[in-house]
Amino acid sequence: MLKYILRRLIGAIPVLIGLSIILFLFVRLLPGDPAIAILGQHATPALILQVHQSLGLDLPIYVQYLNYVGGLLQGDFGASFINGRPVLEDFLLRFPATIELTVAALIFAVGLGIPLGRLAARHPNGWLDGIVTVISLFGISVPIFVLGYTMVFIFAVQLHWLPATNQIDARLQLPLRTNFVVIDAILAGRPDALVDALKHLVLPAVALGSIPFAIITRITRASVLDVTNEDYVRTARAKGLTERRVDSRHIMRNAWLPVTTIIGLEVGGLLGGAVITETVFSWNGVGSWVVDAIQNHDYFVVQSSILIFALIFLVVNLVVDIGYAFLNPRIRYA
Amino acid sequence: MALLEVEGLLVRFRTHDGTVYAVNGVSFQVDEGETLGLVGESGCGKSVTSLALMRLLPKPAGRVEGGRVRLDGTELLDLTEAEMRDLRGRELAMIFQDPMTSLNPVLTIQEQMVETIRAHTQLTAEQATARAVELLGTVGIPRPETRLKAFPHEFSGGMRQRVMIAMALALHPRLLIADEPTTALDVTIQAQVLELLRDLTAEARTAVILITHDLGVVAGMTRRINVMYAGYIVETAPTAELFAHPSHPYTVGLLHSIPRLDAVEGEPLIPIEGTPPDQRHAPVGCPFAPRCAWRLPACWTTNPPLEPLVPGTPVVLTGDRATHRLACLNPPTAEEAEAGLPLREGFVAAPAPGSIVDELATVEVPA
Amino acid sequence: MAVGTATISRPVRERASRGLWRDAGRRLLRNGPAIVGLVCILIFVVGALLAPVLSSYDPSVGKLVDRMKPPSPAHLMGTDLLGRDEFARVLYGARLSLQLGTISVVFGLFFGIVIGAAAGGLGGKVDALLMRIVDVLLAIPGILLAIGIVAWLGRGQIQIMLAVGVSYTPIFARLLRGSLLALREADFVLAGRSIGASRLRLLVRHMLPNALTPLIVQATLALATAIIDVAGLGFLGLGPGDPRVAEWGEMLTDSARFLQSAPFLIFFPAAAIVISAIGFNLVGDGLREALDPRLRR
Repeated sequence: MLKYILRRLIGAIPVLIGLSIILFLFVRLLPGDPAIAILGQHATPALILQVHQSLGLDLPIYVQYLNYVGGLLQGDFGASFINGRPVLEDFLLRFPATIELTVAALIFAVGLGIPLGRLAARHPNGWLDGIVTVISLFGISVPIFVLGYTMVFIFAVQLHWLPATNQIDARLQLPLRTNFVVIDAILAGRPDALVDALKHLVLPAVALGSIPFAIITRITRASVLDVTNEDYVRTARAKGLTERRVDSRHIMRNAWLPVTTIIGLEVGGLLGGAVITETVFSWNGVGSWVVDAIQNHDYFVVQSSILIFALIFLVVNLVVDIGYAFLNPRIRYA
Repeated sequence: MALLEVEGLLVRFRTHDGTVYAVNGVSFQVDEGETLGLVGESGCGKSVTSLALMRLLPKPAGRVEGGRVRLDGTELLDLTEAEMRDLRGRELAMIFQDPMTSLNPVLTIQEQMVETIRAHTQLTAEQATARAVELLGTVGIPRPETRLKAFPHEFSGGMRQRVMIAMALALHPRLLIADEPTTALDVTIQAQVLELLRDLTAEARTAVILITHDLGVVAGMTRRINVMYAGYIVETAPTAELFAHPSHPYTVGLLHSIPRLDAVEGEPLIPIEGTPPDQRHAPVGCPFAPRCAWRLPACWTTNPPLEPLVPGTPVVLTGDRATHRLACLNPPTAEEAEAGLPLREGFVAAPAPGSIVDELATVEVPA
Repeated sequence: MAVGTATISRPVRERASRGLWRDAGRRLLRNGPAIVGLVCILIFVVGALLAPVLSSYDPSVGKLVDRMKPPSPAHLMGTDLLGRDEFARVLYGARLSLQLGTISVVFGLFFGIVIGAAAGGLGGKVDALLMRIVDVLLAIPGILLAIGIVAWLGRGQIQIMLAVGVSYTPIFARLLRGSLLALREADFVLAGRSIGASRLRLLVRHMLPNALTPLIVQATLALATAIIDVAGLGFLGLGPGDPRVAEWGEMLTDSARFLQSAPFLIFFPAAAIVISAIGFNLVGDGLREALDPRLRR
């Protein structure tokens, strides 16, 4: 097992190197003079020179790359050209909001997708299966921003049930310590703030989680159906086990495998979707920050955000793969 | 009273493409400790029959639409699902064809054996584990204590089938159904597994229904054989009698289509022409008629019941003295059975009714 | 008593052998949901192609006095904040979506097939290297990769098509490579190798055609995602950025502020996106089932 984890970690190294090269080139190979691309047409010569120096453009390209990687390893992700603040610092400030959003979306997607998928698989082609199929079809066909605005229109504009923007009502004056609003509300012992924060989470989480929800539902259904037809399930029934035991130990233990893999892969979709969701709901996380950065040509912010998102995605999938190996004994020896 | 009594079992599958007439009124009995072979080509309904006895037909397509199945006097088809579950594994056990897929890949052998034992007994986990070790030893798995912790993929096919046998016999069932238990195994392993199965069941006086397409397998393993074709039993006899006097054209065909060691040099194998019938149509006439060299015009319209080979013999249903019965209007003679084809002068199999041939010049031939 | 004849024949029911695609087409047309999908796509494509016929308005010109009028017989879907006819804009938006979505997927397919065929066909070091590159691209969440590329290349239609296309490349490449690897062990390929067919011939004549089936299904489904992703870029302000063309995503962003006063400005472009995405998703699923009947339950 340890060997497997080690092998997976080593396997991630080329990907990390490739990633750093691509993102390094992302800024260095901006069309035209990177300094002008960054600063715009009306940059002063002094500013251009400053950019050249900070990018080390006068050095050979491999030295530039090594400097860049060296900086990354020391936690130096560059600084914003707009306000000069270190990228990593701003990132960490906004990241908790994005984590809260994606975790809530994941809970929604998994918590609803798996039971629905199992329910649909119980009577394939029955009416319940039909309903679930239609729901998941809409899930993958409705873009985040369309679903987001639709829900805002219904639940915020028309019904006034849920708030449409921000993470928490500013009037509650919740002191922020961890920047995780939900955790801060708990730490501060403020049930009113907690409820408000959770209410703010509902619409964005559902909008963001809708695609993973639909995909997880489909995969769960297909996987349960597949396993149900396996010989070993028939064996389990022939042994006289109760239906509940056949379901939990023999069907679900195996049906989980592909579902686990998909959940890991969908985390990537969630991180990408967060960019759009945060824009719809004015959510103060990394996603909306990246969108601002693109509009401002703040390339270091874009570069580093993509890098960090990719890192998170890689780590999550590593964890999922290791979990998969625990669930599936055949992997460990493969 | 026989241990198992099956009467007029009728199984149909409702699928997208229509109804499949899988088992069409099958009746047979099995005595305590008796070994019965169920022989036929794939798709002839032998596996479906066994799944119907276990009440494990694939749902919702497969349904028993008629007949009775009694185990020790208990009507299985009337039991509730919970009562049936209690019998499965305890009174009525089953071994499946492919040991590579019949064990759950994510559970250890221990987990799978212990759950079987504990589902039907009051044993503690430790006691059940001890019993599992003992069983694995009995089926000839070396170092059972350590092997118990292993996963199925760490075993060879033959070893997995031994595990399946150990699991099936764990609770001393009265009837064991073995569905092609050695088909997926290497030839050398086949013999070992069959021998093990025979020894263990003989010792415990477990009745066995051995399902196979391989006449070589049933020869040494069973006392009596039912030959099935297209959902019907077409011939039944004690094993020795069946091999000595095969009397249904299909049985004759089966015996002539396997190579024999004692065959005279140059004697050709005679394959059975054609393919098994499409069971999506309600059966009319003898199901074997289209492939039969002995068919009469009546065979296209009449499907005869199982009758004693020698008319008027009192019928014994089970045991070594069971009556040799067959369902055929025009059975081959002993010489024809030996030769594998009709020897009557000028005899030609009757053409299908309504075929173009009817309109051609037909010649009356004295039978 | 027995009646015999000189010749024996039985009526032979010969089943004409049909091609895989004809068979699949027949199954597709018997699949209810796929028909619904085809109708959705038809609405989308007809709207795109016949935009000038279906609407007499110019999608880029409007009268300010007519701004933000609700739907009426004159303006079927109302007018936007510059007084432009919303119906015309949705139709011309379909034109752009169809074009951007299709060409994105074609780009993705092209790069994906080149990479996947080289990796799966040649194997060895080429395979190892190409798959590492694919792994790197896969590590970046798709829409983020597209956003990054548009941020890098600047706004514009070609940039969008490249960005979305590149973000699909690793998926296509992996899929094709996987099928090719499986086919390398297939009996008919081994048979071809044993009679000395060249590697290139085997790859092009025997393996690629067989490996294309899953790719075609995936490409159909990708068309749905591409329409959504293109609109997503537009929504984020990374659309074509050309005031003369109507783009569904940009239309949504422009109208988001008026959700309360003019919800129809959100509704129609949103419905257009959803209908076309549903269409391609249904047809993609239908194709998958039609090409692999074992999947049907």
